[in-house]
Amino acid sequence: MIFNSLAFDLRHGGTLLRGESEEIARWLERWEGGRLWFCLAAVFAGAGLFGAALGAWRSPMQALYGGIKVPLVILLTTAGTVLSNAMMAPLLGLDIKFRQSLLVILFSHTIAAIIMGGFSPVLFFVVCNAPPVPTAASASTAGHSIVLLVEVALIAFAGVVANVRLRQLLDRLSGSPPISSRIMFAWLAANLFLGAQISWLMRPFVGSPDLPVEFLRSNAFQGNFYETVFRALMNLFHS
Amino acid sequence: MNEPPVIPPTATPIPAATGLGLQRPDPPLGEVESDRQPITSLVAAIEAVLREPRRVLYQLTQPHQGRLTRDLVLVTLVSSAIYGFVVGTFSGGQQLMAAPVKIAGGLLLSALICLPSLYIFSCVSGAKVRLGEVCGLFAAFLALMTILLIGFAPVAWVFSQSTASVTVMGALHLIFWFIATCFGIRLLEHGFHHHGTQGGMMRIWTLIFLLVAMQMTTALRPIVGTAPTLLPTTKQFFIAHWLEPFQQSDESSKTNAPFQAGQEK
Repeated sequence: MIFNSLAFDLRHGGTLLRGESEEIARWLERWEGGRLWFCLAAVFAGAGLFGAALGAWRSPMQALYGGIKVPLVILLTTAGTVLSNAMMAPLLGLDIKFRQSLLVILFSHTIAAIIMGGFSPVLFFVVCNAPPVPTAASASTAGHSIVLLVEVALIAFAGVVANVRLRQLLDRLSGSPPISSRIMFAWLAANLFLGAQISWLMRPFVGSPDLPVEFLRSNAFQGNFYETVFRALMNLFHS
Repeated sequence: MNEPPVIPPTATPIPAATGLGLQRPDPPLGEVESDRQPITSLVAAIEAVLREPRRVLYQLTQPHQGRLTRDLVLVTLVSSAIYGFVVGTFSGGQQLMAAPVKIAGGLLLSALICLPSLYIFSCVSGAKVRLGEVCGLFAAFLALMTILLIGFAPVAWVFSQSTASVTVMGALHLIFWFIATCFGIRLLEHGFHHHGTQGGMMRIWTLIFLLVAMQMTTALRPIVGTAPTLLPTTKQFFIAHWLEPFQQSDESSKTNAPFQAGQEK
């Protein structure tokens, strides 16, 4: 049953990418389990492939970890902000139900994950051609930098497209650009705030060349993303 | 008296012809009788790609377009192998076999790497297109590109027999490849235009494809010259590889030039 509906929904993957707001708004009117499964499967497949390609530069084990962790970052961020996002939407002028706000954000994350999945062969090709992980401390870290830069560019592209589609959908649902702007800003702030911290906890994704391959760093739960940034800024000013 | 002058009605602008040198209105695919002529053989496919691209684009939207896509892929492989053989004549020996395999295989691999992102970009650009149709359009793009390369092959062969510089030959093949790719890209954009793409998003994909293909030539080096091993033992980005000849003294030869990687694709 699940697989039948999944196969049905796979045909609608293009609808999300094209941002067909009318059709997507219709999906939101009634709850369909198949659509939720499709989103989850797309996030796991797309973001998983991307994470695996990213980790492959370091080692096969890092690829496996990356394949698990990147989808988890997306889904944990979605789960962690779903309550606040659902509450903020009516407060800011868009009267949608809890499940509708969940689906809207999940659709946006699904778009990003599908795009990341589409880019994963390109990323893997870059990783295969990047200079290998340096073994000596003095060795060049150009490969690490290249992989990081390409990764950031691809994720940024996926994020921009997903947010453009989210904005179009919010415009349609609210019928008012100022309202959709406020909601977009609030949701983005919440997602970025939590997403940055979850990504920090889940590190490493590429892995610094001088640190071992691990699923999570041994000090993962010591400190947080913002403390680290703050300390880095302090060091910059005091140096 | 004092009546405002009559403003003549503005002529309805003719939709811009898109690509392929079309200087006349570009009606929807299938509206012209010649578009609907089936393409039944490899020769017909080659001829249609060069002379009747609209026919190819229309046939690729039809239910049984898989056969045409397969024919176009076959044309691509054969054409690129032929061009690869001409590339191999520069060094001779095992390069006569290695260059065709590397060029055809590298092109196919580049296509496979870029196909998922092409589908993503086409959807994001608003195209209502199935994955099968994207495969067909991509195959048409590759077929046109490689057929044009065959057209350049005699020129490349003449140069390969008269110069010993790997750098010169690499640059020449690269120029031919860029020209052929430009025509291919125009066909691809024309095809996606008929599927409803909007904006310049597809240009980003074009850039990705170019980068992947150029890196592929470095990953599969040597293609133009020769080296102790058939495939490289070190990883290198194509820009760094291409700059090597300019950083070293001009001692390039067919056997030990730093510009050994094939730049010809």
